[in-house]
Amino acid sequence: MQSLSRWAAALGLAVASVAPGATPAPPPPLPAEHLTLEKLPARGPHWVYVVDYAFANEIDGRVHLYDGDTHRRLGQVGAGFNPGFNLSPDRSTLVVTTTYFARGGHGARTDLVEFTDATTLAVTHEIVLPTKRMHAIPTPFNVAYSSDGHFLYVAYMTPAASFGVLDPVKSTVLAEIDTAGCVLVIPSGPSRVSSLCESGRMLTVTLDATGHEASRSMSEPFFDPDRDPVFVQGIPSARGFIFLSFLGDVHDVDLTGPQPTFAPAWSLADARERGQWRPGGEQLGAIHGGLGRLYVPMHRGGEGSHKDGGTELWVFDLAAHQRVARWPLKAAGVKPVVAIAVSQDAAPLIFAATDSADVAILDARNGQVRHIERSLGQTPWQLITP
Amino acid sequence: MRSLDRLFETSARALASRTSRRSLLAALGQALTGAALLPLLPIARGSRAQAADARSKTKGPESCEYWKYCAIDGYLCACCGGTSTSCPPGTGSSPITWIGTCHNPDDGRDYIVSYNDCCGKTSCGNCSCTRNEREKPLYRPSRNNDLNWCMANADSNYHCTVSVILGVAEK
Repeated sequence: MQSLSRWAAALGLAVASVAPGATPAPPPPLPAEHLTLEKLPARGPHWVYVVDYAFANEIDGRVHLYDGDTHRRLGQVGAGFNPGFNLSPDRSTLVVTTTYFARGGHGARTDLVEFTDATTLAVTHEIVLPTKRMHAIPTPFNVAYSSDGHFLYVAYMTPAASFGVLDPVKSTVLAEIDTAGCVLVIPSGPSRVSSLCESGRMLTVTLDATGHEASRSMSEPFFDPDRDPVFVQGIPSARGFIFLSFLGDVHDVDLTGPQPTFAPAWSLADARERGQWRPGGEQLGAIHGGLGRLYVPMHRGGEGSHKDGGTELWVFDLAAHQRVARWPLKAAGVKPVVAIAVSQDAAPLIFAATDSADVAILDARNGQVRHIERSLGQTPWQLITP
Repeated sequence: MRSLDRLFETSARALASRTSRRSLLAALGQALTGAALLPLLPIARGSRAQAADARSKTKGPESCEYWKYCAIDGYLCACCGGTSTSCPPGTGSSPITWIGTCHNPDDGRDYIVSYNDCCGKTSCGNCSCTRNEREKPLYRPSRNNDLNWCMANADSNYHCTVSVILGVAEK
């Protein structure tokens, strides 16, 4: 009875609300809104900076900040033409080296370094460079800080090769160091810069307190640039960088001492796979220090395929030099991977940029694809996890 | 930018047989300092390459598969208002290049090909083409197509890339 009377009452209200000639009560108006400026949240464990080279309109490169947990873009840093990108050692500053033309697509060229506060994404200051900055695809060594953040190094090429030494605090260019036959700025310690040479050697320049050259040394060849060149995109490791060769040899370079030392090379591929399966792309691999794992996108291909993306992700035990997994990517809906990075936390995520400009997110412990972010930029060729 | 640099890749082996790497780099340096010589080079190259285009039985210059593009990485000028050997109107040509060796299936010969960038406007964005036969990394700039070879031009923005036959590769 009670429920019936309630039903009847409700029906009466409903009939009354649609009675002919009656005007429905309008919903309450939306409240007035206030324009605000969003602030970045505290840095999350799965943030990644995605460098979009913008190959179809190269004057408009960008760096996107993306959160691998919320799958949202958090902000953007302008990067201009043929940018270099890196982070300060304390992760508080983002640094972009770029070129602007006075009239957009043409006109007088200005090369400069732009510094951005990583907590606000606002540009804080700049250093104008000589018009010698190397115009090239992104690598980890187009621009780099010394380990103490005291110096900033910028690769030059005119095409004569050299590099600039900058004081990022006083915003000054301190020196230019000639590196004929050798390119890029591979930092180690507070005052050493190494470069890769066309002879397969590594040049190491040690600077004095003023940023000028104190000494230099040339290593013995550690790879054969004719038979099996190494990619220049070194993979950060505990004691330096790992350089992969076109055929998949692993050259582990220790940069903790005054001179680089080179561990005996080992191969990603066994005898049957060698030459058939190769690394390739724009950012060749990533290391998770805690897990001791090296992740490398691999593809089937021959000579000339070294920029092809990986169709599988191969996982290696760095200490044992053993492959521990092969994770197929196509079946998981991931296009060929051209750049890869991994977060360094205890629940690590792999970020894998594809040749279709997607960024796939995988669990670094088991290869499970968590998410695919479509079209994160135009040509995402470099990824850095802070 | 990338396409210019990569021109050198495919011809690297043939070039190595007759020209040392150091001499190639030295030649690049001379090209930069000897500005008076620079404008002459593209003109001489152009007439020969045009003839090759006309008789090609393979896919034409607006296709990335065109035989001369074996070490290119960039935008094809033939799709941007130019041809495989001429820069689009209003652009400038790069005096410094990288070189490749490409096999012409029409006559069975290998040719040394110079890849010049066309400069002064932003990237064309049409007919992106990446082929990397015998391409080498940045530490071998004369064989590398990841560099902007407009780097030494007064207007150093990259627009597109041409491929110009320099001659038959010596065996």
